[in-house]
Amino acid sequence: MGDNIWESILYKWQVSNDFFQYYMGTGLIVIWYLAATIYLLVTEKRKPVRILFVYVPLILLLIFFNPLITLVIYHYVDTEIYYRILWLLPMTAVIAFATVEIYGKLKEKKRTVFAVVTALLVMVSGSFVYRDPLFGKAENAYHVPQSVVDICDAIEVEGREVMAVFPVELISYVRQYSPVVCMPYGREITVERWNYTTENALFDAMEAEVIDAELLSRLAREATCAYIILPEGKEIDGNLSDYDYETFGQVEGYMIYKDSTVDLEIILE
Amino acid sequence: MLALRILLLGILLLVIPVIVGSLFAGVDKRMKKLPFLWISGQMLLWAGFQVITVPLILKQERFTLVVQIYLAYMAVLVAAALVFCVIRKKRGGASLRPVDNRPGARKKGYYAAWAVFWGLLIFQLVQALRLAYADGDDAFYVAVATVTEESDTMYIKSAYTGGTTTLDARYGLAPFPIWIAFLARVTGIRTASVAHMAAPPILIAMTYGIYYLLGNRLLVKNKERLPLFLIFTELLVLFGDYSIYTAERFMIERSRQGKAALASIVIPLLILLLFLLLEKLQENKKVPVSYWVLLLCTLTTACLCSTLGTLLTCMLIAVTGVCGAFCYKKWKFLFPLAACCLPCVVFSILYVLL
Repeated sequence: MGDNIWESILYKWQVSNDFFQYYMGTGLIVIWYLAATIYLLVTEKRKPVRILFVYVPLILLLIFFNPLITLVIYHYVDTEIYYRILWLLPMTAVIAFATVEIYGKLKEKKRTVFAVVTALLVMVSGSFVYRDPLFGKAENAYHVPQSVVDICDAIEVEGREVMAVFPVELISYVRQYSPVVCMPYGREITVERWNYTTENALFDAMEAEVIDAELLSRLAREATCAYIILPEGKEIDGNLSDYDYETFGQVEGYMIYKDSTVDLEIILE
Repeated sequence: MLALRILLLGILLLVIPVIVGSLFAGVDKRMKKLPFLWISGQMLLWAGFQVITVPLILKQERFTLVVQIYLAYMAVLVAAALVFCVIRKKRGGASLRPVDNRPGARKKGYYAAWAVFWGLLIFQLVQALRLAYADGDDAFYVAVATVTEESDTMYIKSAYTGGTTTLDARYGLAPFPIWIAFLARVTGIRTASVAHMAAPPILIAMTYGIYYLLGNRLLVKNKERLPLFLIFTELLVLFGDYSIYTAERFMIERSRQGKAALASIVIPLLILLLFLLLEKLQENKKVPVSYWVLLLCTLTTACLCSTLGTLLTCMLIAVTGVCGAFCYKKWKFLFPLAACCLPCVVFSILYVLL
């Protein structure tokens, strides 16, 4: 029993440690932050600044690394968000303030050089946020792929919801744009840790290298999908039209198939 | 029509918060600045939104009811703020106009630094409009707002699929997406556009407004260095992508999500407010009631942003409170400080119970 508690505490401490390292990333900005904090500890005379920029962050770090507190927090909140305690450290303000303080203590001529060098150091130590590969030029005012907009506009029926199955690359965007287009599975299926991936036959049928027309149409119909959306050029074994999913349209690199046995104009109560 | 909708959005996000913020003009004479009025007004509005919305979510009421009650709340606050302004003007007090206390002796470098700051800020605001960030969590948060606006229900339809679902307390107690839905409903702008195009520039600008106010207090005797402080703040944000967890990254990439608002608005604002409190303790000055109200609103806003906000903000308040008490050998202020944490405590209890 006792061993278990110690093991648990040790494990929690290890997790905190891991999160701190993840938060540090390359580590350089955190080093500048610690250096700035030490600088303020040594030079700053005003108590409010010392309390908020030196003492409080140090105590917060002690809390962050305290396995007993980790145990309590882990009990109530998702472990994956534990790192957010580090948001309480005023890293940006402390580094910027310490830099400006040092700048002020330098002679006029050295100031500009110092400011430029420090700016370059920040730029080299960090990573430019807009270089993130997940950034892309917005295709429209909704910030979702234009294909999603065009497909949803094509399949929406006034006064009712429609069920449609989409390829995995579109499912995160569909319901951001259109709340009336429903899906048999959403983004949760792509998150491995939620263990849905292997349990959904329709998802597997949609994402198979070669689509089995009979299987896909059967599963889609079971899930009451009035539409199947597939990437243009996706290899299909058989014809979806043989199973009453007729070609409805072709939009932005995607084919839309509609279940011809369903009359969507009938407004359901 | 679109211009009218954008104008309405501007009124909701800029004009009304500034008017309401005038209720906090007495928090600190040195803080009578437009950004302070704007941000503090928004805190009062957000706090009200949280208090109005959560009970209605738990009762599974219609979203329209939230819109109606919140609009009435806004109207009452605007009216109260205008009456307050008139009374203050009659008494000869300060108006809504920001106080300009830039240093008298201004050098060329000072203006150049401000130009760089504004240039970098405008760059970030334009990028927020021009670039789309493919964040998986938007599939939930933005979809919740979209579904709410369309279906008139709150958290009982699956954001992912559209099927019916049960209320998840973790999300229902922190209904930031419902505020996005509110903006969409009132302005008539599509929810996805409000979330991706309107909210990010406003929230990013608000963050720098807080840093501007904080810099003003930190550099009280060297205000000519304020633009340099802000430039470094911007650089640290712009180059804050050194890890996927940083608050700076959340601010730029996920600014429409409540957790980003917590990290880049609520927590920095709390640091500013705590700084003001410590200054008053240092100077042996009385802390006005409006300060405590603003702190209470900010902590309630933390609950609106994220369920974890309740814990994080209380942690910051508790640690700073104890440090302040030890450093100044004063204890009385701990009582109102703890009282301000009550909303967080209540929402935490609800989270555990539900």
